[in-house]
Amino acid sequence: MKDRAGLREIERRVWLRTFEHGLWDLSIGLLLLSFGVGILTEFYWIPAIVVPVGLPSMRDLARRAIVPRIGHATFRGRRKRSMIHVQLILAALALVGAGMFAFTAFATRDTAPGWATWVRSHFIIVIGLIWGGALAIAGWAADYPRLYAYGGLLFGALLAIDLAPAGDHLGHALIGVGGLIAVVGVVLFIRFLRRYPPYPAPVEVGDDG
Amino acid sequence: MAERQGEEGGLEIDRAIHEPARLLITAHLYVVESADYVFLMQNTGLTWGNLSSHLSKLEAAGYVEITKEFVERKPHTMVRLTDEGRAAFDAYRRQMKALFDDLPGGSMSSPTRR
Repeated sequence: MKDRAGLREIERRVWLRTFEHGLWDLSIGLLLLSFGVGILTEFYWIPAIVVPVGLPSMRDLARRAIVPRIGHATFRGRRKRSMIHVQLILAALALVGAGMFAFTAFATRDTAPGWATWVRSHFIIVIGLIWGGALAIAGWAADYPRLYAYGGLLFGALLAIDLAPAGDHLGHALIGVGGLIAVVGVVLFIRFLRRYPPYPAPVEVGDDG
Repeated sequence: MAERQGEEGGLEIDRAIHEPARLLITAHLYVVESADYVFLMQNTGLTWGNLSSHLSKLEAAGYVEITKEFVERKPHTMVRLTDEGRAAFDAYRRQMKALFDDLPGGSMSSPTRR
């Protein structure tokens, strides 16, 4: 019997193992990177490519690399809801990013209402609050503390560039934070691959298709 | 089914669950909705053969349901606790807790301090 074999501990260990491979981190990092690169290069369509192409690819990678190593489990009750919440929050994060570009076009018009002008003048902090808050809420919903750190890091970086005396460094900040999170994801993924070799495919007696 | 209930000194123990490897399997299945063989091997430390053997016993007792499917032409087996298995595990937990709590020296949940 493993140590600390209480059911709650087993449940949490099993749940956290679904985040151990780092692909969640890599996905979040790539998402932020794509927004940063899109802003810097003014190729605003880059995130629109990364989200529908990159995220399913990540899911496919998970199926090919993770399932043969640690297997697959579906959760019930609170954890099942948590997983849905996290996916919804991260989807919202991507939508807010896309909305950010649309809002900029809207708020720069002469006829833009006062609140839009106010939001535009505090745009980076507002984005930092929304994205940082979304990551923190996702961390809370998933019982996954690393997302708190990512939320704090993102908000801190955007606050710092907003307070910086000159220049618009939103793209740089997103590339810096997204790159860092993606690197953490890659390191975790490599560590995961080394820690868990794939199980050999079993011979199932009696299964002839 | 013959092994399912054993009577030891007036105490009925569900032996289908009581065996250490099957206890580990049912505990892991209890905290998830369903899981595949690799997941169970990874988390219980059992080999494929051992796991299959114990799952067969749990299946015979009606405690687990084993579903076989093919994903990309590879066999993929999912296992889940049945309602009966979940109820049996709950009953086993209560029984063991009551058993140890009744021991002289106090409850397991409130350890005696010096």
